[in-house]
Amino acid sequence: MSLAFVAQLVRTVGDTASGSTCVVPVDGPADVDVIATWCENTGNTVLVVLPDSVEIYRGRVRDPITALAPDRRPGYRLWVYTNFQCNLACDYCCVASSPRADPRVIDAVAFADLVGEAVGAGVHELYVTGGEPFMLVDLDERLRIAAEALPTTVLTNAMVWQGERRRRLEALPREGLTLQISLDSADAALHDRHRGEGSHRRAIAGIRLAIDLGFRVRVAATLGPDAGDAEHELIALFDELGLDESQRVIRRIARQGVANAGLVVSRESLLPEVCVTAAGVWWHPVAAIDPAMFVRPDWRPLQESIDEITDELRQHRLRGDVLASTFPCA
Amino acid sequence: MTAELVVGAVAYTANVVPIWEGIRDYFRDSDAPMDFVLFSNYERQVDALLAGHVDVAWNTNVAWVRTLRKTGGTAQALAMRDTDLTFQTLMIGRRGSGLAGLESLTGRRIALGSRDSGQARILPLWFLERAGITADDADLVIFDSDVGKHGDTGRSDLDALLAVTEDRADVAAVGINTWVSLTAAGDAATGDLEVVWESEPYNHCNFTALDSLDESRAATWVTHLLAMSWDDPEHRRILELEGLREWVRPQLAGYTSLTEAMEAQGIADSW
Repeated sequence: MSLAFVAQLVRTVGDTASGSTCVVPVDGPADVDVIATWCENTGNTVLVVLPDSVEIYRGRVRDPITALAPDRRPGYRLWVYTNFQCNLACDYCCVASSPRADPRVIDAVAFADLVGEAVGAGVHELYVTGGEPFMLVDLDERLRIAAEALPTTVLTNAMVWQGERRRRLEALPREGLTLQISLDSADAALHDRHRGEGSHRRAIAGIRLAIDLGFRVRVAATLGPDAGDAEHELIALFDELGLDESQRVIRRIARQGVANAGLVVSRESLLPEVCVTAAGVWWHPVAAIDPAMFVRPDWRPLQESIDEITDELRQHRLRGDVLASTFPCA
Repeated sequence: MTAELVVGAVAYTANVVPIWEGIRDYFRDSDAPMDFVLFSNYERQVDALLAGHVDVAWNTNVAWVRTLRKTGGTAQALAMRDTDLTFQTLMIGRRGSGLAGLESLTGRRIALGSRDSGQARILPLWFLERAGITADDADLVIFDSDVGKHGDTGRSDLDALLAVTEDRADVAAVGINTWVSLTAAGDAATGDLEVVWESEPYNHCNFTALDSLDESRAATWVTHLLAMSWDDPEHRRILELEGLREWVRPQLAGYTSLTEAMEAQGIADSW
């Protein structure tokens, strides 16, 4: 490290107008650390760190993370894919789940560790998903640990609650646990078109069972371009089932997994929700098998995973804010 | 509609534009609206003030002394930054050189900045003279890197410091603002250097006006200027950019050393 490097840093930033950016070449992490220290002490902002350069914003930038509502910040909500196998093979599944999918199970011990770290990392809500989580006969052990620690929602198609699974479902705590059940339409035609014949009837039965067993239930619909007026009919069904607004979710198909149409998502365009699978950490649960959305292979320590996603989001937002304020129109 | 007060400033860096746009915006809708004009050097700004093309000039200490001389001492200082009251020149040498105090610089290579820089050239020569060291008693290594800007860019200070690290000079005279900017990076830049001597505090910039400026207009403008608050996030943004925590009323005693230095060195009114 030399005076020449810092002198060049001072000159380069000094020649930059407030609200604009400049690029300083670096030759390793030590240079990056010096720039970060200098920016912190002089009221400037490190925007982007690249292998051979650092982009600096002249002036202070309000942390874009603080501009987000608390429940939209990375780490407020944690998604966990307990497994990937499923009794169905929905044609729009964002993670290509099916009876033949590689299970990629997070075992109960690892799950307990994850929940423990989630509490320590300030996670407020836990979402358990798959595949079909209840394909794991001992899912109740995980859900019991989760619901005791954090408000927990488990996403399910409500179609496998028979025999031992039914018995274990009934023994689950009602407090702190929500069953989010998938239902894509009020009538069977649209739902079964994507999820398989007879799945709508069985889903409705599962919803009614969950309500009768005293669980807090939320119904989630995934609508594709062929949904037509399905949304209106769904709302009527939700009313009939006695579901209030907080118990209804309607979302569009994402172009992920086996879906060959839908909303295109990317790290730059999608607000992250920290997601853990047996393979590691992902940017968002809707893209938990998309290599472009892979963050790191080990979620431990969870706080570090959350911080890494937060830092990347911060950089995306900072670059977007700077571009929005400096993009020339003429 | 109140006529705008026109303030001149020198564009020593691209950052000057957002600074003055921010200050102008602050004065908008006040009782003292203003606009600003940018100059490429302080000499032309002083000429513009004397010609009445601007009402107020944001002057360096060198520009202030020149304006005072050209107006027969009638020019007035309206306001300053708090940081303008505590400026210093530092002599920086290599750590472990054994140099301490100005007297130790006899026969040494002394790197100095631009000829129109108060902190890096004019005052260091004056301080050395007072310590009994003339230009003949030392080897002066000169860097006229940013003439016209009165040292505002800090460029000649940095060039002088680099000469020390590259063993082309034994010490460098720099403004304290340059040293503070480098030490903000931690020991990375300055770990091999040390302060060999530091000057007494002296004044730097002020808002200069002719005595012909309407007293009421000037007072209203200054009152609103002084009302900028560090605790207001939008004001603070501008204050940080311009390098102060608060604007203050002028205290002129700190210009004595530079006035004497410029007279002693026979520095002409313009270069």
